[in-house]
Amino acid sequence: MSDRIERELWLPATPEAVWEAVTGDGWLADRVRLDLTPGGDAEFESDGSVRTGWVEDVSAPERLSFWWAVDDEPASRVELKLQPQADGTRLRIVETRPLDRLDLVGVPLPSTSGATFGPALVAA
Amino acid sequence: MSRGEAEPRPGARGGLSSGEAEDRAGAVFGALSDPTRRALLAAIAAHPATTATELATQLPISRQAVLKHLNALAEAGLLDRTRSGREVRYRFTPAPLSDAVDWMTAVGAEWDERLAVLRKQLGAGRRQATSAGSRGTGRPTPRSAGRPAPPPTRRRSSPEAG
Repeated sequence: MSDRIERELWLPATPEAVWEAVTGDGWLADRVRLDLTPGGDAEFESDGSVRTGWVEDVSAPERLSFWWAVDDEPASRVELKLQPQADGTRLRIVETRPLDRLDLVGVPLPSTSGATFGPALVAA
Repeated sequence: MSRGEAEPRPGARGGLSSGEAEDRAGAVFGALSDPTRRALLAAIAAHPATTATELATQLPISRQAVLKHLNALAEAGLLDRTRSGREVRYRFTPAPLSDAVDWMTAVGAEWDERLAVLRKQLGAGRRQATSAGSRGTGRPTPRSAGRPAPPPTRRRSSPEAG
């Protein structure tokens, strides 16, 4: 069970062009540093706020999944899927915030503050 | 006080088991999927410390039916029950709800914004074939539950029992 956001968008561009746009600076954050290998570090900086995380899986230009979190907030997982179509690309986004894993197990993200992710969300 | 089994899974600060957390999140959305229950929550939020009898006069359902719905809401951690003489008084405890709703509202808005940027950037002028709304999650939109102001912190603080 998790909180879940889903979005889908059709774009008149090739998967390669969409991939470049969604992984580059200015989209996920002003400044995006993504080590596009499984387990690679991820850092997203916008307006002085920084999210850190890691890449879970990557298959350019079709699929990217990563985890991110702001400091002591519970982490969430983002999955981007690019599906080539005759006239463009369908981009599908799913962001989920597991209520049953990271929140509780407290898997640490590679964050400078060394924050872990305790049960902030579901604390009763 | 005698909150009995209405206590929504106490002691979680030390750590809910993953099963408990999963149950609870599922229970929140399950409880909110029913329009009668959302109406009940709204009525309780508007009139704290209300009773099943009072609620039954406000809604076109029997007191028995009200009780059944109140149990579902309490089990989801959305209501706090306090016994007062022969009656049980109900209060809305919005923490599980506001957490989930806040997150989905905030994160959903972020993605809408990003998608708008992308659409502009990659020139999607000729076909706006998008589903900017949330899709296929089967989730209720608990906004109609008449959500009161969120609690001051993200953590539930057991205001009743102290």
